[in-house]
Amino acid sequence: MTRSPPALVALTGAICLAMLPLLAPSYYVSLMIPFFGYAIALLGFNLLFGYTGLLSFGHAMFLGFGAYGAAVLAGTFGIKSFEIVLLAVMLSAAFAAFPIGLVCVRYVGIFFGMLTLAFGMLFYSFLFKFYHLTGGDSGMRVPRMNVLGLEMAQYNKIEFLAGPFYYYCLALLIIAAVVMWRIVHSPFGLHLKAARDNPRKAEYLGVHVHRFRLAAFVISAAYGAAGGAILGFRIGLADPELVYWTQSGQLVFMAVLGGFSNFFGPIIGAFAFTLLQDQLQSLTQYWRFILGAVLAAVVIGFPDGLAGFANGLGRRNPGKMP
Amino acid sequence: MVAFANILVGGVFHAAVLFLVAAGLQLVFGVQKIVNLACGSFYALGAYFGVSFIGYVSAAGLSPWLMMPGLVVAGVLVGFVGPPIERLLRSVYTRDESFQLLLTFALVLMFQDVFRFVWGPNPRSLDSAYLIYGVINAREFSVPVYNLLVIAVAIATAAGFGAFLQRTNYGRILRATAENRGMAEALGVDVRRLYAVVFTLGTALGTTAGALVVPTAAASLDMAIDFVIEAFAVVVIGGLGSMRGALAGALIVGLIRAYAIVLYPEAEVLAIYIIVIAVLLLRPAGLFGRQAT
Amino acid sequence: MTVLLETKGVSKCYGALRALEDVSIVVRPEEVVSVVGPNGAGKTTLVNLLTGLLTPTSGEVLFMGDNIAGIGPVRLAERGLVRSFQLIQIFPQLTVAETIAAAVVSRQKKRWRLFASLRSDQAIAQRVAEVAEIFGLTDRLAIPAATLSQGEKKLLDVASAFALDPRIILLDEPTSGVSTAEKHGIMRTLIAAGKRAGVQSILLVEHDMDLVAAYSQRIVALLEGRVRADLPPDQFFSDPQLIESVIGKRTG
Repeated sequence: MTRSPPALVALTGAICLAMLPLLAPSYYVSLMIPFFGYAIALLGFNLLFGYTGLLSFGHAMFLGFGAYGAAVLAGTFGIKSFEIVLLAVMLSAAFAAFPIGLVCVRYVGIFFGMLTLAFGMLFYSFLFKFYHLTGGDSGMRVPRMNVLGLEMAQYNKIEFLAGPFYYYCLALLIIAAVVMWRIVHSPFGLHLKAARDNPRKAEYLGVHVHRFRLAAFVISAAYGAAGGAILGFRIGLADPELVYWTQSGQLVFMAVLGGFSNFFGPIIGAFAFTLLQDQLQSLTQYWRFILGAVLAAVVIGFPDGLAGFANGLGRRNPGKMP
Repeated sequence: MVAFANILVGGVFHAAVLFLVAAGLQLVFGVQKIVNLACGSFYALGAYFGVSFIGYVSAAGLSPWLMMPGLVVAGVLVGFVGPPIERLLRSVYTRDESFQLLLTFALVLMFQDVFRFVWGPNPRSLDSAYLIYGVINAREFSVPVYNLLVIAVAIATAAGFGAFLQRTNYGRILRATAENRGMAEALGVDVRRLYAVVFTLGTALGTTAGALVVPTAAASLDMAIDFVIEAFAVVVIGGLGSMRGALAGALIVGLIRAYAIVLYPEAEVLAIYIIVIAVLLLRPAGLFGRQAT
Repeated sequence: MTVLLETKGVSKCYGALRALEDVSIVVRPEEVVSVVGPNGAGKTTLVNLLTGLLTPTSGEVLFMGDNIAGIGPVRLAERGLVRSFQLIQIFPQLTVAETIAAAVVSRQKKRWRLFASLRSDQAIAQRVAEVAEIFGLTDRLAIPAATLSQGEKKLLDVASAFALDPRIILLDEPTSGVSTAEKHGIMRTLIAAGKRAGVQSILLVEHDMDLVAAYSQRIVALLEGRVRADLPPDQFFSDPQLIESVIGKRTG
């Protein structure tokens, strides 16, 4: 009874996503690639937010690591394999997150938010300062790479994105989700939750609160970079705007929209946001206003997000952590 | 040195504007513990409204000499978006601070389109009418008198605030509530009304700052988003909740910015942020704030 | 006889304020030692010194012969000294089982296992069940800790500390906030549980003199930062002046 619903949800979701390219027009399918990127990044983000209790307002920095890393490795160094690029950006983001995290996790709440905001904007300004390396305002090109060693030259970009690359990203999301599920339900995950709920008591029970927050920060950075690499690949460009603080705010928006108290919440949030933004943009030029209103409504009325809402409909359950 | 004096005056002018906004932020944070990401939006609102207001009253025949007071009036008027927004924020007072940040972020998004809707996507500015106040042309520097007037306004505000908080009854009540809300309530303070007043005051400071800056800079969509960064740098460097901190932080950020613009343009945000991080590491309470971890 | 925990001439000053002055106490194996005294006598400071949160201004705090000044709660827990809290401390979003499991994970050194499944770990589950059974929480295991009664929360707080297999547990006013009817029951459970869990000694900080009289082998009275007395209960309670200075003119 406790095990089947999440597995069922995951299976249903995966099947629906797998069938999408067969049912929906290519336009919508290629729209899903950013969804996959954000979903993976958000799985990492929520490890930090939902499970460790730290709200970062600079997370977009790690997506930038992924996109720019992909641009540098594939563009400047000519590495063709997306897998190698993915691995490399994840490792380098984790590596960079270590000192940054060391500094930030000493604080919680507003101070943590402000420190991460500061680091994020610092990275943003680096991208401009070193414009001869990073292209400054215009960004860096991310060339097309090989997935699983195949060049897939027979597909043009749209076909590639709506076809093989779509399933590739779906597979990546599934792998990322399975790994995150295991992390969250492990002894390590338990200590993270304890540190979140009551850091003082947790210490007395032998939980290394600071070390574990750092670990969560590093893992979330790696996930963020993976998501960023996918985004960079899709857009073909690594853009400094990807790193601006409002993008970090958008990530938080997605997590809260989907419901950060639930494992699948962030994924649902990424999906809902991507779809919502696209539909609104075609409806009115004032889509930001509506998005803002949606966020306000969620914060005020539905703090458990879409996942919490669905949970509430399904059974009498406060929608807490699985 | 020619450059140095110009930088100094430019920096102090920018610091004056920053101080006004930061004072508002500090007030709101000190009393209500709200971190307002929409402060940049209030700033931009003041700027946009200032442009429209002056445009309107000039066409109606107002003397150009009254431009500055006119801008102040515009700023204060539009500060009255404060009460309804404060009512909105009331719903998240008792919740985790993340929700507060998110709600103010939602306001940022909404305001962006309000600006787009009312004033269009392009920057709006006043012409050089402010030069009617004259320009001081000394050997080392040249500065429009208007800028000096704004600096004077900021100094007056700082002094006024200091006196208000330290010497008046209401100021004492405010400080008491900031210190201990529960106690203040028990002593009969109408905290809800106080919060509404404080928030409106903070908002009005932000909008007035925006209105005052608009003769020298255009009101634009980017303004709302970019300004948040600087405002937070000021507040962090100065110390959350401290008025003196707002002053010190504003001066530091204003001068760094002025210096960087002239000497290392790309390093402008970089310099400010390195200082923010350094302060958060070495002295998280800021220069004048109280310890909080 | 070996000494488990001791302070040697410990003083703690906060500027001009002398919170503790020349305090020397010992806790030996198989003892329940109570620390009593009016508010402001320095009990909290002493507790914080004993649990590695503070460093003494002078003197030593030794656990099993090692200096533990300021080593912090995590390292102290690893060495075998744990504490419970006066104000109930729980993990609001965790269940009873998860609360106890957190301590078990620390004890079994499994904290860095990122990919192992917590649920299917038999060693952890078994130990959690054992500890829960000692404290009568077996049928509460799947319940969120936040929904327990006050008394049960207290038990859980102590149970999770016991799950660390400590040698000494410091109980900081374990029955505060608990109804008079439940107090003795809780104390009996705690002492019995301690024995079953292999805890060698208990240091009890308490206001309730009935409990202190009934369960301690020795009573240490703190007054204005100094040790006023260090006596077995019968000697302690036969001195009316002593009792009055410690509890004032309190009734009951």
